[in-house]
Amino acid sequence: MQLRADAARLRRRLIAASCALLTTSAARSEEAANPGVAGALTDWLLESALAYYHEDGRIQAIEPVVNVSKNYGDGGTLGLNLTFDSLSGSSPNGALPSRSPQTFASPSGKSLILSKHTYTTAPGDLPVDPHYHDQRFALGVDWTLPLTRLTRASFGGKLSYEDDFLSSSLSASIAHDFNEKNTTVLFGINDENDSLHPIGGAPVPLSDYELFEKTDHKSKNGTGLLLSVTQIMTRTWLAEFNVSLDRFSGYLNDPYKIISVIDASGNDVGYVYENRPDTRTRRSAYLENRVGWERASAALSLRYMTDTWGVHSDTVQLHLRWWNTERNKYLEPTVRWYRQTAADFYTPWIGDSVSPNEAYASADSRLGGFHALTYGVKYGIKLDDKLNREAAEINIRVEYYEQTVDHGLPGAGALQGLDLYPRLNAVLLQIGFDY
Amino acid sequence: MVPEAAADSLGGALDVEERTGNILATCFTAMASPCELLLHASDRAAAMELGTLVAAEAWRIERKFSRYRNDSVLAWIHRNRGAELQVDAETASLLDFASRCFELSDGLFDITSGILRRVWNFDGSSRIPDPAAVERLLPLIGFGKLSWQAPNLLLPAEMELDFGGIGKEYAVDRAYDLVAARRSEPFLVNFGGDLRANRSPANGPWQIGIERPDSDRDAALVLELERGALATSGDSRRFLLRDSVRYGHILNPQTGWPVAESPRSVTVAASSCTEAGLLSTLALLHGAQAQTFLEEQGARYWLLR
Repeated sequence: MQLRADAARLRRRLIAASCALLTTSAARSEEAANPGVAGALTDWLLESALAYYHEDGRIQAIEPVVNVSKNYGDGGTLGLNLTFDSLSGSSPNGALPSRSPQTFASPSGKSLILSKHTYTTAPGDLPVDPHYHDQRFALGVDWTLPLTRLTRASFGGKLSYEDDFLSSSLSASIAHDFNEKNTTVLFGINDENDSLHPIGGAPVPLSDYELFEKTDHKSKNGTGLLLSVTQIMTRTWLAEFNVSLDRFSGYLNDPYKIISVIDASGNDVGYVYENRPDTRTRRSAYLENRVGWERASAALSLRYMTDTWGVHSDTVQLHLRWWNTERNKYLEPTVRWYRQTAADFYTPWIGDSVSPNEAYASADSRLGGFHALTYGVKYGIKLDDKLNREAAEINIRVEYYEQTVDHGLPGAGALQGLDLYPRLNAVLLQIGFDY
Repeated sequence: MVPEAAADSLGGALDVEERTGNILATCFTAMASPCELLLHASDRAAAMELGTLVAAEAWRIERKFSRYRNDSVLAWIHRNRGAELQVDAETASLLDFASRCFELSDGLFDITSGILRRVWNFDGSSRIPDPAAVERLLPLIGFGKLSWQAPNLLLPAEMELDFGGIGKEYAVDRAYDLVAARRSEPFLVNFGGDLRANRSPANGPWQIGIERPDSDRDAALVLELERGALATSGDSRRFLLRDSVRYGHILNPQTGWPVAESPRSVTVAASSCTEAGLLSTLALLHGAQAQTFLEEQGARYWLLR
């Protein structure tokens, strides 16, 4: 038995040695055989996509993405990533539906009484700000360079700009290959600095919505650590495990979210701005397995996340991909299941008898307990023959997302019979082109 | 194997010929072997274009690693014995590969053993070398005697390197990658019997005839290959015969003498030609144990004794 195991190990090592020879010399050989333009063109890659996202009766977004990366023969790469988001539509403001019409001010600089821009929500409807509009422009750069034959370093920077938000982050990582390049260990750090300039100012937490107590701009900072191990299990099976830790501190509120104040009979008597803790530490663990067959591949990933706000989440995702016999078209169905528990301070409303002065509270449904299912399918056509580029491909992706609130606190009195926790359905359509 | 005079005429003509089963073959000569690119359901223009690419790659690798040319990287290394050289990345990856093979085979696979050709000439005659002459060469053999830490190489005085045992298989894989990046329809790259195919043509798998070692014409067996690589090691026409003992041309680098009872030829299937060639060569070096070795490796193989 021992001999058999030794022999199997030798075979694996012979395979590894052959693979190392063939992969390390591939790029150079390609260049040598295609002097001039053809050789110069094969070392960069363009990935582009245009996505349209639509939430039922709420937000819609259009997002073009362009990724350009350049490969240097020595294992170094330089990547450039451009994203532009345009969001518009209706965004929930955090208040509950009510038996009577509710009027809110759009977050201009003015109080409700003075504001020219107000919106009114019909009885029974979830209050949403119908003028929600945002544009985001993001630019990312990352650079990987080989330090030794087995060690690589990466550096990255990212800038993201919105009308009321500016975020910049820097990252660095180092990766080392062990065990004949069958094992890769990566350690990364990340630092992010955000500055927030909410329209009309940042509200004082828990202040009365109608009193309109606002302050100047705010900031927050995040730091993250990542440790990842990637292991080639067999020639067709790759596994990755990583753990990450990140910590945010500063102004972590959503400046546009409010909470309904409800009296004992279930009627709304006013609104206050939300108040979240000013630090949040998240830990997560992630396991992914990828398996390939002759004309199919599968990727199964599991993620567990827990944070100091009391949110625990689980994600299970499965991607399958089938190729046709000519290997020039593929179909990739995806299913993703997500569940999270509510933050400790999540509350759909605040009772008027409770003095909320020192408490943390948010009615943001993204901090509530819910589960969500995403089903999607992607269809890709390789254009490598037609365009004479290995990476050339056009693809289309459709995803359907369905989110359901778990354990929503039942409403008493006047709240009875109202749909306090409407489902959220969304559709994503994406067209991509790689070259 | 290549006469000195022929070496300068590297390059040459490409012929496109039609074969049965809707196959176009682009044929040329490289590394002293008939080479071909087979395309299923192709037009002549594509066959010529891809064939040109494949031939250029074969000739490039031959020019770079040939031991018969004085403008090769190998000749440059040999001229600079005793000096520390910085080799290019492709040469470095081949040396890394040779180094791994030397370790994994416990010294059986050794690209410094070509020097034994000075005393062994497998011409079918009975001229067995003087054991003392073999003995004198042994100190000049052993990959471990090189100083090699990529990209720095120091080849000690009088030692020799020979990429002949890996060059052809490596060239097949390189050429395969070039074609695979441009074409998804079935194709097969064949350099003198070492070959690799991307997938089976629609009308059935590739039919590979393995030459019977003692006959020039009849294929001893026909293999069906859907995809992957085949490499064959062994050549029964290269031997010495003395006192009814047949001395095969596979030399043990540790003794300097032919490996006893090694098969006449071994063909191995693997996913890359480099891997298949490595397994078939190692099998021959295991002599009488060749079959056991291949069984232990879980290899698919065909062996002729």
